[in-house]
Amino acid sequence: MTLRPGTSPWRLAWRRLARSRATLAFAGLFLVVVLLCLLAPVYAHRVAHTGPNENHITETIKVGGKSEEVTSPTGVPIGPTWHSRFFLGADANGRDVAVRVLYGGRNSLEIGAVATLITMLLAILIGTFAGYFGGVTDGVLSRLLDVIWAFPPVLLGVALGVTLAVGGLDLGVFKLTSGSLLLPAFIVGVVFVPYVARPLRGQVLSLRSREFVDAARVQGHGHLRILAEELLPNLTSTIVVFIPLMLANAILLEAGLSYLGAGVQDPNPSWGTMLAEGVHLTPGAIHLVLVPGLMLVAAVLGINVFGDGLRDALDSRT
Amino acid sequence: MIKRSRPLGLFSLLALTLSLSISACGSSSSSSTNASDTGVNASSPTVTVLMGTAPDSLDPALGASTQSYEATWLTYTGLVTYAHASGSAGAQLIPGLASALPSISSDGKTYTFTLRKGLEYSNGEPVKASDFAFTLERAIKLGWGNKQFLTGYIAGAEAYDEGKAHSISGITANDTTGLITVKLNAPFGPFLNVLAFPAAGLVPASTPMKPLPNDPPAGVGPYEIAHVVPNQSFEMAGNPHWKSEAIAGIPGGAAKVDVKIVTNNQSAAEQVLGNSADVFDWNDSVPGTLLPQVHAQAAARYAQEPTVSTEFFFLNTQAKPFSSQLAREAVNYAIDRRALSRLDGGQLTPACYLLPIGMPGHPSGPCPYGDPNTAPNTAKAKELITQSGMAGTSVDVWSEPHPPHKEYADYYASVLNAIGLKATVKIVAAAQYPATIGNIKNVNPQTGWIAFSQDFPNPVDFYQLLDAESISPTENHNLSQVNDPHIQSELAALSPVPSSKLSTVVPKWEALDEYTAQKAYLAVLGYDEAPKFTSERINFGALVFHPVYGNDWSTLTLK
Repeated sequence: MTLRPGTSPWRLAWRRLARSRATLAFAGLFLVVVLLCLLAPVYAHRVAHTGPNENHITETIKVGGKSEEVTSPTGVPIGPTWHSRFFLGADANGRDVAVRVLYGGRNSLEIGAVATLITMLLAILIGTFAGYFGGVTDGVLSRLLDVIWAFPPVLLGVALGVTLAVGGLDLGVFKLTSGSLLLPAFIVGVVFVPYVARPLRGQVLSLRSREFVDAARVQGHGHLRILAEELLPNLTSTIVVFIPLMLANAILLEAGLSYLGAGVQDPNPSWGTMLAEGVHLTPGAIHLVLVPGLMLVAAVLGINVFGDGLRDALDSRT
Repeated sequence: MIKRSRPLGLFSLLALTLSLSISACGSSSSSSTNASDTGVNASSPTVTVLMGTAPDSLDPALGASTQSYEATWLTYTGLVTYAHASGSAGAQLIPGLASALPSISSDGKTYTFTLRKGLEYSNGEPVKASDFAFTLERAIKLGWGNKQFLTGYIAGAEAYDEGKAHSISGITANDTTGLITVKLNAPFGPFLNVLAFPAAGLVPASTPMKPLPNDPPAGVGPYEIAHVVPNQSFEMAGNPHWKSEAIAGIPGGAAKVDVKIVTNNQSAAEQVLGNSADVFDWNDSVPGTLLPQVHAQAAARYAQEPTVSTEFFFLNTQAKPFSSQLAREAVNYAIDRRALSRLDGGQLTPACYLLPIGMPGHPSGPCPYGDPNTAPNTAKAKELITQSGMAGTSVDVWSEPHPPHKEYADYYASVLNAIGLKATVKIVAAAQYPATIGNIKNVNPQTGWIAFSQDFPNPVDFYQLLDAESISPTENHNLSQVNDPHIQSELAALSPVPSSKLSTVVPKWEALDEYTAQKAYLAVLGYDEAPKFTSERINFGALVFHPVYGNDWSTLTLK
């Protein structure tokens, strides 16, 4: 294929992306998961006729004309009915698993998205400032990143989550209550900052001595303008590649933290809390871990394969 | 005692892996033994007991959890102890290191014991009468969780605790005659039960005045604790200096006991079902999903034993919304105890009274806010919340993550939301839970789950939970913060009645418990049943399920 002069790198990347069917298929898978989760309230009210936190422990339902208990006298929940009520079964509290998995997905995806936003914003700020200004600024910011990096992400997340789970976070103007979804988003977001800020800093370090930056300085541009107009555009492809990667990592870490009780707080569902609730009822009620587990796999696999495809598409060497 | 449970999660999986690999190594002996009472020695077979939660301490001066007592009552015998029998017979006190039950003065304030002669500790040291005072001083000094039973009643014990005295003035002992006299400030009916706690089990005066959880001190009993690996395992080996014939009524034991901590009750139940471990923890419940398999494959070695314990939601009477009696009544109307029983795998008997079945004073009358075995009256509850003016009030529901306690909290929050309150759930790790909800100063919890098992068979024990004198800024036991003059006056009148004469005041206890239920100071859920579950090689019928200490390991024998 012969390219016409002037084809932008973005258009080129889009063409490469469009050629990768696997990438598009997995992006589609992720979008389907997102769409299903966004429709959770519609499903809950129009189809299942119950909310995500409503308990139906002692109720009975009709399944194929037969009356069945939502949970047995020994606490075993009903499995998938494949009917509108309890389509994917119930949990120990007699809550509709299908409703909870969709609401849980909303929470997991929302936390993942907000956490990724926090990670990217903080990482871009810290990475570019540290790389561009160097010296003391770089020293202080890099040591800050080292401190966060010194802890394994899960351990740091659990430590922060458990500490903040009861009292929330109160930094004066910035307050998060203990039950807020923003709290796990904040924790997950902060934990991953060094993983993005470090490479960005390295890239800025190599860019800041390039001719086009010197030229901007000679023209009298201020630091912020140089950062915004000269350096940031050159970091865009790196940032774009990091977004799906961080989103997948954030969703996984949120699930891990929630599983350990340090993420989304009860009774709000997330895929992680649902796995934790279901694990002690397996193998008798295997649907309790299969359903949220499969949703988690579908979402993370979708976004990861899409991220890989995006990276390949943005890589000029491919 | 407030029942402790175990954390679940990553560490459970780790424990599961460890326990599986340990059991895979096959430590259990396959040799058989009869039930003869010859004592445990090097050739005795080994039995593997699983515990869901590690004991809080294996030093008797510190241990105050059911798991700790289960081990220490066989290693630290006091002047009196409990009969090794199931049911109400096990609640009877028998002479331990004392040659007979004490003589008690007519005013009920002086107890006189005579120490048996020729006793030796597990390290070979002779037992002396003066060791008794040292033992109690050590428990007080190290901060035993129930030390209020000592400092509150023994003359001079409080002064000793506060550092105003070098010894407890109310205890005198004569090493020559073996005579021990204990003087109380005021008569306290269950005092002999207090002396039956393992914390009052004698230790040598040479024992360091510091915590020894990993190398517990010498004691007198059929077993001694050895090879303690914190939060993983310990062994109950035979006490080489135990003379089975010395103390009538205490079995010498027939098997060494390997105790392993397995925090995942599913895994623990599967191990016992598959005979790779021998005894399931009676403090845990067999998961409902596994019960059909247990009933099908192991019906002859599984039973649900009633325990003298109560599960309830406390309702803080000093904070909104439960400062209103109407709001408290609403909760009692709205809770579906049948649902909570299902969450506990059917191992909770729905009830409404604080004093459980098996405890003298348990009322037999109908519950004031509806039959706990029928559907709740949610409409009435909503109406009461509206009348109380508390509709829309925010409520934090506290619990800990161990199933089904977290599930209880989720259910309870949904009920509170359904009747017009605004509930959120707060889950705290099991290890921190009692301290968190007992902190009025910083937390002051509005409501939450708790379970209480008897420390001794006397209703006074349960009424610590509603005694105004139990309210304290930290380590608060009266979680509903009840300060009711009627309860206080009744407790003042009933507490001095000795356990041996409890039958004379049963109607008064019943009336008091009915009054408590009427005032809705608590929302009682029901009474626990405990699983007695063993492997095939254990002589199931011979294993005593003790009403205070659960599975009596000294009665473990192989078929």
